[in-house]
Amino acid sequence: MLVEHGADATVLAGGQSLMPMLSFRQARPSFLIDINRVEALDFVRDEGESLLLGATTRQRDVETNPVAAAAIPLLPELLGHVGHVTNRNRGTVGGSLAHADPAAELPTLVTALDGELMVEGPRGPRTIAAEDFFLAPHRTSMGFDEVLTAVRLPRLPAGTAVAVEQIARRHGDLAVVGVIAAIRLGPDGAIDLVRLAASGVGPVPVRLHAVETALTGVAPTTEAIDAVAEAVSAAVQPPDDIHAPASYRRDMACLLVKRAVGEALRRSEVSE
Amino acid sequence: MTTTTEPVESRTKYTGARIRRTEDPRLLAGRGQYIDDVTVPKMLEAAVLRSTHAHARIRNIDVTRARALPGVFDVIVGTDLAELAEPQPVIWFPIPEQRIARVHALAVERVRWVGQAVAAVVATDRYVAEDALELIEVDYEPLPVVADLDAALAPGAPRLFADWPDNVSGALTYRNGDADKAFATADLVVSGTFDHGRTFGCPLEPRGCIVNWDSFEGTLDVWLGTQSPNLARDLFGEVFGIPVHKIRVRTPNLGGGFGNKFDFYPEEVIAAVLSRRTGRPVKLLESRAESFAATGHSRDQRMDFEMALRSDGTIVGLRGTAYGVLGGALGTVGSGPPWASVLTCMGPYKIPNLELNLKAVVTNRSPYGSYRGWGAPKGNLVHERLIEMAARELRMDRATIRRKNFPAPDEFPYFTGAIFTFDSGRYADCLDLAMSKVEELGWRDRQAQARAEGRCVGIGYSFHIEPSGYGPSRILNLAGLTHSGFDEATVRMDSTGRVTIYTGQINMGQGTHTVYSQLAADTLGIPMEDVLVVTGDTDSCPYTGYGTGGSRATALGGAAVLRAGERLRAKILRVAGQLLEASPDDLDIDDGTISVRGTTGPTVTTRDVGDAAYRRLRDRLPEEEMPTLEEVDVFDPVNMATSFGCAVLLAEVDPETGTVTLLDCLQAHDCGTVVNPMLVDGQLAGGLAQAMGGALLEELVYDGDGRLHTGSFRDYLLPTASDIPPFSFFHQETPAPDIPGGMKGVGEAGTIAGVSLVASAIDDALRDHGVTVTRFPVTPHRLLAQIREAAENGAAR
Repeated sequence: MLVEHGADATVLAGGQSLMPMLSFRQARPSFLIDINRVEALDFVRDEGESLLLGATTRQRDVETNPVAAAAIPLLPELLGHVGHVTNRNRGTVGGSLAHADPAAELPTLVTALDGELMVEGPRGPRTIAAEDFFLAPHRTSMGFDEVLTAVRLPRLPAGTAVAVEQIARRHGDLAVVGVIAAIRLGPDGAIDLVRLAASGVGPVPVRLHAVETALTGVAPTTEAIDAVAEAVSAAVQPPDDIHAPASYRRDMACLLVKRAVGEALRRSEVSE
Repeated sequence: MTTTTEPVESRTKYTGARIRRTEDPRLLAGRGQYIDDVTVPKMLEAAVLRSTHAHARIRNIDVTRARALPGVFDVIVGTDLAELAEPQPVIWFPIPEQRIARVHALAVERVRWVGQAVAAVVATDRYVAEDALELIEVDYEPLPVVADLDAALAPGAPRLFADWPDNVSGALTYRNGDADKAFATADLVVSGTFDHGRTFGCPLEPRGCIVNWDSFEGTLDVWLGTQSPNLARDLFGEVFGIPVHKIRVRTPNLGGGFGNKFDFYPEEVIAAVLSRRTGRPVKLLESRAESFAATGHSRDQRMDFEMALRSDGTIVGLRGTAYGVLGGALGTVGSGPPWASVLTCMGPYKIPNLELNLKAVVTNRSPYGSYRGWGAPKGNLVHERLIEMAARELRMDRATIRRKNFPAPDEFPYFTGAIFTFDSGRYADCLDLAMSKVEELGWRDRQAQARAEGRCVGIGYSFHIEPSGYGPSRILNLAGLTHSGFDEATVRMDSTGRVTIYTGQINMGQGTHTVYSQLAADTLGIPMEDVLVVTGDTDSCPYTGYGTGGSRATALGGAAVLRAGERLRAKILRVAGQLLEASPDDLDIDDGTISVRGTTGPTVTTRDVGDAAYRRLRDRLPEEEMPTLEEVDVFDPVNMATSFGCAVLLAEVDPETGTVTLLDCLQAHDCGTVVNPMLVDGQLAGGLAQAMGGALLEELVYDGDGRLHTGSFRDYLLPTASDIPPFSFFHQETPAPDIPGGMKGVGEAGTIAGVSLVASAIDDALRDHGVTVTRFPVTPHRLLAQIREAAENGAAR
């Protein structure tokens, strides 16, 4: 149907973004392709090295799934920031990713974890790396005739601690700024693995590669982290909107990187 | 008529009890009937095209393509409407010789705000109507925009109305004592400019109406989601020149009003014109997205004030200017709310010397309308912010300085110096009650502990006054209202001894039906289940001056129910006296049974009395009595009833992000006789929640071109259950001396107190940073900027 109707058709999953857009006349497809009852896309699968989530799996099902939590320990906490429980009961993993809101949690998570998006279309299946998937607000590199079928989240190496920090105007709102951090300390006590991604600070979720590089091999002192976090400013191009000016988002991205790294470090000490 | 204020004998079984609202089961079961649930035969549906320009001349509107769309019955523009309708009415004229900007329900020649209605389509259904809107082509010639207050007052500013010298609709000054002298001789003067952003009541059910104009009978049959059906009927009559006896307004369940549904809107008039032209009933609902531009905006004001004190904390003077930031036309209540902010800016404090200025200014924004609090929240900002600034300067305790300036209980009735006379009050007792609860609940320990952990936790206070029970008709007329303030109730017992109350008040969530049932049941001595309350139909219910607003439903409507009930009780006893062969003076009614006081002899029930008054009169109804059992009362108060309270808030600020978390809240409150503590608590909590939204979250944001950037709930952030703190409420009861029953209004208390309350808690949390919050809402980025500025200033010093 997507092939036949092209841009005039839209895939409906949990409807938590699409339905409001339809009622505001912001989205005007002539055809809705409802994939809610495609059972083959509703799964949580531990594949050893990674966690595979089907596109129509409800966010709440992932949040409460022990297999998912064991593979990616941050998932329950992170999903707790996604709207409210009623949203997550309907909202799907794939829907959030395909909607590609740069302030949303799941797109930021797959960006932080080097996740992969599995899509399928008339030319067969293909896999897209997270950083190649998000192009702009609400735009992805999927063709109009492709659908998202699953997302693969690689397991972090043992000993990695993760944390999420967010500033939202209200509980359950899209983040004004959000940061996800994953940190592992090496045998010498220095940081030997770091993943950082931020939401709400650009047209797509931003992976903070330069900051990661700067932190790698560094002894995790507050001073060292503070010094590196200031580099976040240069790595982000946040938007102005009625909830916060760009300058605030930039400052908060720095702050939340410090806080998320600090929190992850605390958690890694606890787990040792 | 004259008003009597004799005390009502106390027979309280229901009054004072926590009784659930009678409508709860129906509403909770989802079986309410809201305006969108109402359909009438042959009904069409309409939609409105709104201006995308803040200020523009309309060169041309081409509706040809819209008319041609299948399913479309009619398309109208401003000139079509103006053939049938007068401009939109204004009922409040508090400023003498004020320039009143009235416009038609559909723009004629010029638009003056984004969202102003420019054309309307009526079609088989709303979907077709909205499709047709997209086919209307409007040719706008943009004009220079007056986006905000500063732009409106700037020298050489573009003018919204060509025949005005500037953008000032009107100004007035209230003086009492000698403010100049007080300021010249004061030990301390504190001053501040307080800006409250644009917000609105945002009822979760948007506005809507169904209008059927019957050209054969010349009648207008209206379903309208309104707080003021009688006012709407009168204003329909004015706009269309139809005698009001040919206009019927019915009101279904309301999904919230908050003052927004008090006002009379263009959509009612548009639907009527469409109905007249098509000969069919027309439903016109406001969509959620439209509501942000089309429902009355409020709160938008700047308060530029200073307070003079002696070094012992005694306030000697208050002066300043309130700027009301009105829109591109005056709404139903004109500049009423900014006016009320001036009248309340001295608050609960004795301030002998006043110079209070009001300036009402038009801008290219949506019209200003009614919103719960109606000016008083900004008045509260003036006195509560300034007294806390003074306390800081004088290093006085915040409770001590407040207590020092209260009028004593024996100084009431207390004239404020500007229009209002407060009827009764025990302000210091109320403050003490609040302070004792702060101690009991251990907030100071919580604060100390948090501060020891390096967290910025503060305790905020707000003492508020709420002039309620609007109001004495002749005084309101004198103040510039073209409407009355009395309330009328009919209390009727039927042939089976059951009671129906008819009133012009509206039940919109505050529990009016429940309160009237309680009052009538107690007065008549019958079970509450035997009382039915009928509201929301101008054909069957009495006239009320004003409407359901100004916190008047319990104070004034309740008083009318009580007084009518007293007279009906007397008649019931006279009939029962005949039946029992006893003197009415010796009789009692309890639970619907009438007996001779102190005996166990024969009894009769209200059912027997009903039968005697309606059906089998012979030998049973006293010869001199008129058949039936019905009493009507009109209560026009001699004064307003001024409630008051002291709210306290525990809040935490993250000084690195500027985010504020509300931890706990209490309010000690006095609204005279408390008829139903559960409903009073609900009013206080709901009002505080709305104020907390206005203090931290909600804002209708305009840019420099007058474009409104707030178009959905993603932009307009209402506080949810996760954002408001737990509430505790404590009551004291100082009866209203001028209201039978002693009740005062309570509907607006929380909205009045809440904004300065949040500010006070933030200041206290940031006491080490030296921040004084003056602009609302306090968004994280604004607060963070203030914290940094304070740090820079501190470092510079």
